[in-house]
Parts: sequence; C-alpha cells; structure tokens
Amino acid sequence: MQEFDHIQSLWQSHSVEVKISSDEMLSQAKKEVTSIRTRSLFNIFGMALSFAAIVALLLFSPFNSWTTQTGLIIIIISVAISTLILYKDYRIIRQNDFTEHPSAFLSRLKIYQLNKFTIYNKLYWFYATALSLGFIFYFYEVLNNLSPAFQIGIIAFTIFWMALCATILRRAYLKREKERLDLLIEKFERISEQFNERQ
Amino acid sequence: MEQKDQLFKQIFDTNSKKIFHLCYGYTGDEDSANDLLQETFLKVWQNLDKFRNKSLISTWIYRIAVNTCLTYLRSEKRQAKDELTDNIIENRPEEFSEKNEQIALLYKSISKLEENDRLIITMVLDELPYNEIAEISGISEGNLRVKIHRIKLKLTELYNQHARI
Repeated sequence: MQEFDHIQSLWQSHSVEVKISSDEMLSQAKKEVTSIRTRSLFNIFGMALSFAAIVALLLFSPFNSWTTQTGLIIIIISVAISTLILYKDYRIIRQNDFTEHPSAFLSRLKIYQLNKFTIYNKLYWFYATALSLGFIFYFYEVLNNLSPAFQIGIIAFTIFWMALCATILRRAYLKREKERLDLLIEKFERISEQFNERQ
Repeated sequence: MEQKDQLFKQIFDTNSKKIFHLCYGYTGDEDSANDLLQETFLKVWQNLDKFRNKSLISTWIYRIAVNTCLTYLRSEKRQAKDELTDNIIENRPEEFSEKNEQIALLYKSISKLEENDRLIITMVLDELPYNEIAEISGISEGNLRVKIHRIKLKLTELYNQHARI
C-alpha cells in the first residue's frame, strides 16, 4: 500500500526532456504558413510561364490561318485572367505575419480558403470551356497536315487530359488544400478563442 | 523585436520543462505532450505583449497550458489515454526497470482521473502553491483544498489498485 508522498516522489524523479528549442518551435510554426504561400506562388509562376510560352508561340510561329491565332489568343486571355485571379488570391495571405497579428491573419486565411473554393469550382468551368474553345480553333490548322491517326490521337489525349484535370486531379487538389487550410484555421481559431475566453 | 525574442527565450527556458511535464501527465504520451508544449508557447509568444503582470508569468503560462490541454483532447479526439500510457513501457524496453514500471503505473493512474482533476493533480505533484493552482484553474482556494484532498485519495487508490494487478 503506497501513500501519496511516494507517488509525489515518483513523479518528481521522472525527469522529462524537452526536445525543442524556442527558435525551432517558432520557425516550425512559421513554416506551415510559408509552405501555403510558396505553393500559391509556384502555382502563379507555372501559369505565368505558360502565358509566356503561348505568347511566344503566337508571335514567332508562322501560322497561316486566323483560327490558329484566334485559338491562341483565347488561350492566352484565359491563362492571363486565371493568373491574375491567383495573384489576387496570393496577396490575401502574403500581407500578414500571423505571429504578429493572429486575428487578422485568421480572417484572411478564411477568405483565401473561400476564394480557392470558388476558383476551383465555379470559375474553373469558365476556364476549361475557354481553353477547350481555344484548342478547337488552334487544332483546326495545326492538325491539318497530320495523318488522321495522329489527329485522333492528339485530340483524344487532349480530351482525356482535360477531363482528368476537371475531375480526379481537381477534386484531389481541392480536398488536399481544404484539409491543409482547415487544419491551420482550426489551430489559429483554438488560439484566438482561448484568449477571448480567458484574458 | 530582438528584445521580445530574448524575453521569450528566457521564458521558454525557465518554464518549458514544467509545462512539458504537465502536458505529459495529462496525455501520457510524449508526442502529444510535445504538440501541446509547442502550441502553448506559440500562444505565449503571440500574446506576450498582452501580459500585464497582474499575475506571475508562470501562472499565466500554466493557465494557457491548462486551456490548451483541455481544448486539445476534445478537438483532436485522441485515443484512450490508457492505451497511450501503456506505450511508456512498450516503447522503451531498454529502460525497463521496476522504477519505470512504477512511473508507467503512475501515468496510467493519472489517466483514469477526470480531465480537470488530472491537470490539478499534476500541478500539485509539481508542488505549485495552492493559491497559484486556484488562480490557474479558476476555483476558489477553499474549494480547491477539498478537491485536491479528494483527488489525492482517488489517485492513491487507483495507483494501489494498478500495482496489485
């Protein structure tokens, strides 16, 4: 039969090791937010690169038909608009340092999440339709000199790729992004709520 | 900013071990305790400017840690604590000894207490003054004394029960 004193001495004899320093802890917390910013920036960079490549194609390739130019212009406009929307979205989370202004950062994070959802749900279909239209015009001349087998192959691959992006890849991306942001928002909400309750 | 960083480091070095022990006692799991420690000190860092010296800084940090522990388990829906505390022995076979077994039993017994009682008793075990525990837990000192007496009895009973098995 043990007494409470024995329990207390047992507790105090159990030495625990804190495995993290204050610097590590703070940088780790900052990293979570930075990775969302970096992903968003990569996304914009990829779109900007596509934009530059298609503009170069329009300017430096000798196309004869107006349909090709129309197709490329439609694609360029769609990519440009999407890039601008993504950049506008990126600016929402770029401005705040969450460690300095947690509440402001939290509300911006929520707006960012909502925008992301709108972009990949409603706006995505406008983007996909515009791209499809652009490709139809573009292929009209470009595929003309190829054999029917190649024509069918390229068209089938394009349709397959766009369908894949619109369904499985889009849904997977949305789900992953939502989970990441939910986790981050939940964490900041816990922090804010606690201080509202107890301060 | 440099001054704030320095102050934070000093606060972390002084309090982190005790806070980690509190979280460890509450969860019975090193990884969860580490998560809780990080979350606690992140809050400390973010709210350091709001601290107005109305209480001791350690009391303030304990209060944050207690709240963090209570919200953490509810939101994370962690696995049953007895499963976690079993890991204390299983994960460290090289350190197996009678003392380690007793320590594991202690954590297991603590895990059987109510959530609030678990936190109160870990502060008692760490010899925090009763007035500080009262402030941290938001209970009057008179009620706290009665409560602590009851928790001590319960914990001793649980520990002896487990020791007999």
